[in-house]
Amino acid sequence: MRKFVLRYLIPRIIQYLTLIFVGITLTYIIPRLAPTNPVEAQVSMMIARGSSLDPDAIEAMRAALTELYGLSGSPVEQYFAFWSRLFRGDLGPSLGNFPTPVSEMIGQALPYTLRLLIPALIISWIFGNFFGALSSYYPENKALNVVEVLGQVVRSIPYYIVAIVLLVVFSYFIPIFPFSGAYPIGTRPDWSSLDFILTYLEHSVLPAATLILVGFGGWFVGMKSLTSNIISEDYVVYAEIVGLKKRNILVQYIMRTAMLPQLTALAMSLGTVFSGALIMEVVFGYPGVGSLAIRAVYSNDYSMIMGITIYSIIGVATAVFLIDLLYPLFDPRVRYQ
Amino acid sequence: MTLLSVRNLRAYYQTEAYGISRTVQAVDGISFDLFPNEIYGVAGESSCGKTTLIKVISGNIKHPLKVLEGSVIYNFNGYQVDMLQISEDELRRNVRWKQISYVMQGSMSVLNPVRKVIKTFEDIVRTHEGITDKKKFLEQTRAHINRLGLPTDVLNAYPHQLSGGMRQRVAIALATVFQPALIIADEPTTALDVVVQRGVLHMIKDIQAMSKNTVLLVTHDMAVHANVTDRMMIMYAGRIAEEAPTESIFNAPLHPYTQHLINSLPMIGEKTTRTSLGGSPPNLANPPGGCRFHPRCPHVMDECRTVVPDLVTVKERHRVACHLFKEDSV
Repeated sequence: MRKFVLRYLIPRIIQYLTLIFVGITLTYIIPRLAPTNPVEAQVSMMIARGSSLDPDAIEAMRAALTELYGLSGSPVEQYFAFWSRLFRGDLGPSLGNFPTPVSEMIGQALPYTLRLLIPALIISWIFGNFFGALSSYYPENKALNVVEVLGQVVRSIPYYIVAIVLLVVFSYFIPIFPFSGAYPIGTRPDWSSLDFILTYLEHSVLPAATLILVGFGGWFVGMKSLTSNIISEDYVVYAEIVGLKKRNILVQYIMRTAMLPQLTALAMSLGTVFSGALIMEVVFGYPGVGSLAIRAVYSNDYSMIMGITIYSIIGVATAVFLIDLLYPLFDPRVRYQ
Repeated sequence: MTLLSVRNLRAYYQTEAYGISRTVQAVDGISFDLFPNEIYGVAGESSCGKTTLIKVISGNIKHPLKVLEGSVIYNFNGYQVDMLQISEDELRRNVRWKQISYVMQGSMSVLNPVRKVIKTFEDIVRTHEGITDKKKFLEQTRAHINRLGLPTDVLNAYPHQLSGGMRQRVAIALATVFQPALIIADEPTTALDVVVQRGVLHMIKDIQAMSKNTVLLVTHDMAVHANVTDRMMIMYAGRIAEEAPTESIFNAPLHPYTQHLINSLPMIGEKTTRTSLGGSPPNLANPPGGCRFHPRCPHVMDECRTVVPDLVTVKERHRVACHLFKEDSV
C-alpha cells in the first residue's frame, strides 16, 4: 500500500495537477495574445453607438472596465490575481450577460448538459460495443449486417444533420416530440412535480436520440475494428479449437480484451461532456453548456469562454486521472508500480 | 487396430481476389495410419504442409482451406468418427479435448492475457464435463498440474507472469486434462531454449508413457524426432516422401531427400563440412510436375519429371515415394 501511494498515486496526482495548471495557464495566455483589446473594443463600441461622452467619463469607464476584466497591473500581477480569484471560485462576470457571474450561469446550465450527455454516452457505449463485437464475431449474420450499415451511415453524417432530420421527422411531420428547449417556454423548473419531470424527459428524447445514434455508430465501428484483430489472436483460435461455447468465447475472450481501449475512450468522452454538445444544443434550443458556449462566442464573452474551457480541462484531466487509477482493475497486465 | 487412418487426403488453400484465383496445394494425396500408444513424428521444412495436415485431421478446417478428397477416420475404442463428415456440434461435444487435444504452434500466446490460468482450466472443464463441485475441480486441477511437475502457483498467475517454457508446459497440461486418445503437438519446442526444450520433451514423453495414448508430434527439428518419436514421416512439398520407424529413418534413409536431411545433421566428433542441398523448396501454388523433389534430386531420371511416384512399402513399416524403389525391391 505504501508503495502504491509513493510510486503510483503521488506521481499521478502531480501529473494531474500539472496538467490542469498548464491547461488553465494556456487558456489564460492565448486570448491575451490576440491583437484585440477588449477594453478598447468595448469603449469604441460605446462611442460608435453615438453616445456623446466627455473624455473624463470615457477615461473613468476605461479604468472601470480594465479593473473589471482583470487587466490592471503588470502581466505577472494580473496572472496571480487571476489564480487567486479562481481559487475563490470566481470566474468573473459574464460580459455578454453583465453582471451575472460566469460560475452561476455555468452552474445553471451544467446540470442540463450532464443529465443529457452522460446517460446518452453510457447507453451508446454499451450498445455500440456490444453490437460491434457481436457483428465482427458473426460476420454472416444478416440482422447484424443491417445494424452495421445503419451505424456506418449515421456515423458518417454530421450529427447536427441527424439532429435536424430527427427534429423535422418527429416534431414536424409526426409531431410526437416538442420542438425545442428542455421544458415548455414559460414554465419554471419545478423538480418536485412529476408532471414537470415527465415533460422534461419528453423534451430530452430527441437530443438524447441524436447523441445515442451518432455515438452508437462511433463505438460500433471502433469496437468492430478492435475485435476483428482480436478474433485472429492465438488465444481466441485456441478457445475455438478447445471447443468452448461461442458465448463464452465472445464474452470472456473477445469482449473482455477489446473493451480495454474502449474504457479509456469512454473516460475521455465523459471528461469532454463538460463543454457540452455545441451545435446539438443549439439545434434543439437546449439550455446547456453548449448553448452557453455558442452565445459566448457570438458576443465575444471571453470570460464565459474561459470559464467553460476551465471546466472542460478539469473534467478531462479528472477522467484521465481516474481511469489511470482504475485501469489495473480491468487489465492485469498493468500493475501499480 | 488403428486410431486414425488418413487416406489420399488432398487439402488446398483456394483464394480468389480481383478475379485471380490461387490454389496452394498444401496437402496433396497423403495416406497414413496412427496406432494407439505411439509417438508419431511429422518432419519437413517450413511450408511443406505440416500444419495444414494437422488442421485437417484435428477438424479445424476454415476458409480458405478446403478438403478436395480423401478420408480422415478415427476409431476411439469403437467410437467411429469421420472427421470430414462429423457435425460441428458433435465434434465439439464428443471429440474435441475429450478425444483429440491440441498443443498449438505458438502456444505461448494461447492463454487469455487478462485472465488467470486457472480460469482457462475452468472454461475447458466446465464446457466438456461441467463443474458441480468447485472445490473438487480445484483439487483435481492442482493434482493434475503437480503430476506434470508444475508448481501449483501457476494456476493463480496471469500468462504474462509466466516464462515461455512455463506457458508451454501449461499448454500441455491443458491438453491433457481429460486423457485424450490423441494429443497433437505442433512445434511444441520451437522458440524455447534447449534446456527448456528438454524439459518439455520429457514432459510429453512421460505423459505418453503414463496414459498410453498417441502423440502426434510435428516439428522441423530432426533432433527432437530422434529423441522422442517412435515412428515418423518426412513430408516434402505437401506429400509424404518417406515413412518409417524413427530408427530406420536415421540409420537407413532411402529417399534422396531424407538422405540429405540426415546427412546435414552435425555429428559429434566429425569434422567434415556438411553439404547443403541446392535449390529451394517448390512453391506450392505452382509445384513441379512428377516427383516434386526432382528439380533438386541428384538421382533424377526421366520418369521423375512426369510420373508422380507412389508411396510403396519397401520393408516392414517402411514406405518411400521415389522411383528408385519399387515394391519389395530392397
